[in-house]
Amino acid sequence: MNQLPQKYPFLPTWCPGCGNFGIMNAIKMAIAKSGHPKEKFVIVYDIGCSGNMSDFLDMYGFHGLHGRALPPAAGIKLANHDLKVIVVIGDGGCYGEGATHFINLMRGNHDITVLVHDNHRYSLTTGQMSPTTDKGEATKSTPEGSIEEPLNPLALAISNHATFIAREFSGAIPQLSARIGEAISHEGFALIDMLQICSVYNPKQDLRWYREHTVSLEAEGHNSTDKAAAWTQAMREEKLPVGLFFKADRPAYHSQVSELQSGTLVNHNKSVVDMTTLLQDYR
Amino acid sequence: MRVPNTLNWKVGGPAGEGIMTTGLIFSKTIARHGIKVFDYTEYPSLITGGHNTYQVYASQNSATSQYQKLDVLIALDKPTLDLHHDEFYDNTLVIYDAQDDKINIEEHNLPVKNFNLPMVQLATESGGSRLMANNVALGASMFLFGLDLEILNGVIQDVFGRKGEEIVTKNQNAAKAGYDFMKMHLGQPILTIDKVEDKNYLTMTGNEAISMGAIAGGLQLYTAYPMTPSSSVLHVLAEKAKTADIVVKHAEDEIGVINMALGASFAGVRSMVGTSGGGFCYMSEALGLSGVAEIPLVVLESMRPGPAAGMPTWTAQGDIQFIITASQDEFPRFVVAPADAQEAFELTRLAMDLSEKYQTLVIVVADKLLSESRHTMELESTQFNNTRVGFEENPQLDEVGFYPRYQDSESGIGKRTIPGQKDGYYLSNSYEHDKYGFASEEGRVRVEQVDKRAKKFELMKGEILPQYFEDNGGEMTLVSYGSTKGAVIAARELLEQQGIKVNIFNLTWIWPFPVEQVEKVLSMDVPFAVVEGNSTGQLGKIITMETGIKITNKLLKYDGRPFYPYEIVQFVRNTLKK
Repeated sequence: MNQLPQKYPFLPTWCPGCGNFGIMNAIKMAIAKSGHPKEKFVIVYDIGCSGNMSDFLDMYGFHGLHGRALPPAAGIKLANHDLKVIVVIGDGGCYGEGATHFINLMRGNHDITVLVHDNHRYSLTTGQMSPTTDKGEATKSTPEGSIEEPLNPLALAISNHATFIAREFSGAIPQLSARIGEAISHEGFALIDMLQICSVYNPKQDLRWYREHTVSLEAEGHNSTDKAAAWTQAMREEKLPVGLFFKADRPAYHSQVSELQSGTLVNHNKSVVDMTTLLQDYR
Repeated sequence: MRVPNTLNWKVGGPAGEGIMTTGLIFSKTIARHGIKVFDYTEYPSLITGGHNTYQVYASQNSATSQYQKLDVLIALDKPTLDLHHDEFYDNTLVIYDAQDDKINIEEHNLPVKNFNLPMVQLATESGGSRLMANNVALGASMFLFGLDLEILNGVIQDVFGRKGEEIVTKNQNAAKAGYDFMKMHLGQPILTIDKVEDKNYLTMTGNEAISMGAIAGGLQLYTAYPMTPSSSVLHVLAEKAKTADIVVKHAEDEIGVINMALGASFAGVRSMVGTSGGGFCYMSEALGLSGVAEIPLVVLESMRPGPAAGMPTWTAQGDIQFIITASQDEFPRFVVAPADAQEAFELTRLAMDLSEKYQTLVIVVADKLLSESRHTMELESTQFNNTRVGFEENPQLDEVGFYPRYQDSESGIGKRTIPGQKDGYYLSNSYEHDKYGFASEEGRVRVEQVDKRAKKFELMKGEILPQYFEDNGGEMTLVSYGSTKGAVIAARELLEQQGIKVNIFNLTWIWPFPVEQVEKVLSMDVPFAVVEGNSTGQLGKIITMETGIKITNKLLKYDGRPFYPYEIVQFVRNTLKK
């Protein structure tokens, strides 16, 4: 049997109508517009439908373990802080399996752009509840309705020292792309919680649902330097605000590491290691 | 009973009273006399209030183990007078401070000589504070063994120098007061050990040697989460980070630790992580990521008794079976288990090279005994050269627009590119993947990549170093791994005195398993026994698995304590029916 020649990168395998198509285009546009050469970018992918994007882009990529995309991203940035590091991750990986990394790396203001594909379901594993599933939703793992209250990623990030916090809708591609561009330029931990349709496992939250349930922060005149106002917006229950909740200028992690002041770690030359001083303590 | 030119000294007291510093100063002073040391510490998993001890065995020829029988015990509190009677022999001398510790020595029924040294009184009379009483004990110890007070003063200068000249002088005066008091009351040393002028030993704990070996091997990033007994590597490297020009990151948990290090290594930085058994379990998923994505990484696993939290501050060799297989499926890895500080330095340095050369995982196995015991060692140079290998300097995208990072080849080892390099695009993937790193579930591609990685393992076998083998024409061969070597060597010395010869075969190279070397030694017409720190004989099982050789004699210890040489001596005598 003759096989068709494989095209590189692969054509996307997402379901028709998946929000990932729009997000991938928004990422590509943002990178193209960033002014940085493509080889200076690394995308770290988590496991999930979103992470499968790794096979569809022609860039440096690191497709890690489930829930663990943030630590390698921080490691890559520590190794070479000239790189732009983006994380593509789902709500399950970022807010569930890998929540420890999410909480702790934002405290350090590691300069990474975290793009969370938030469709309120585990979709690659065929539709179980996720940390952001609304209470009472029946899913494959919660046939009688989920008991937990949903996690509030925006409030978590605001209270926990992230320095760029936004939510966007995956269907509004130009707006999402512009926001991703801002997040990439921001020096510090940037979170964009991207509301995303999963027409297969979460048909209820469709385009119409999002139209009815979202409200623009910009239209409401929200001041994104006001942390208290950002908190109030993040705690709203009747509507999901979209836009930039909060932004602050604080030094990024790598810029506070004294050994990195002389340049990127990957360029610290170790071809001759002189340990005369170090070994003196052991005499 | 006593081997000439050796001494065995112990200080004991409550945690938080400087026991560890006092022991360290004594040990360094001995080493600066050109005498070898082996230090062994015991402490409970508590911050204050527990009973701490620091023991120094010193010898001109070979100090490889802690010995049970003490020449001198310095008791800095009452419990120390009661807890160590097993360690006394005819000539043991116990030093205590009756006045300050309100001791009525009759109540303690000491079966050996003892001496009341008013440590606190001498410290304060000499112009120092009561905290300097330990220096009185150190000065007294110099006289007891005919050692040089000036050398002790030099160590005090180096250890306390940062606190200023006044503190140094007061500590030195307290030491002199102890020395003079002993001289006045005893007149002559209880035993003497000869000084060797031209020796310039370093003393390091296993963890210090691992830290320094990693730096010598070009370490750039160390990430860790504290876990005894590996934590002091994190402390040493964090403290020395500026001088060594490395980055050290205490990350949120062990899973974050290893994934962060893998990210950095992917980006071109020589990376290492450290943990103990529990944290290693957390890391095990990511060990597979190192394997499948062929990302170099060095992992330190310093063992302690388990399962689960086990006994944090005690020693064990019970993780080795897990270490050689931990993670999903199969991939090539190196596992080395240094026996002492010298090997810890050299093998960790080598580990940094091997992980980069074969683009894979290297696990350095230690245990509490190695990690926290201090040994004398020597280095020929203080300058170390490193060559980076396996990088493509001028990558070309091939016809499909990607760099074939995982292209199959004769060696199975491809050339890496690093992000930032033009035309080097590839995907580092936790999924099985094709030559560009793109996920593939095709059987043909899967088999090609598994076989490619397996080729590396065949080459890795060529790196196996000669294992430590003493063919003494013995009646028996003792087979051990890692830190147990020291106690076996010490036992061989004791057995020699009793007219029994044994051979020693200690493995520091666990994986790829040194099949040929093991088969050669164990096919000799001499009975053999494994000696290891676990309850089932894991090294023995690995030997059987890899060579088919059955193990009948085992000396196993799993009470959290290291082997004492006399235990091995008894085992050999019983097994040989002597």
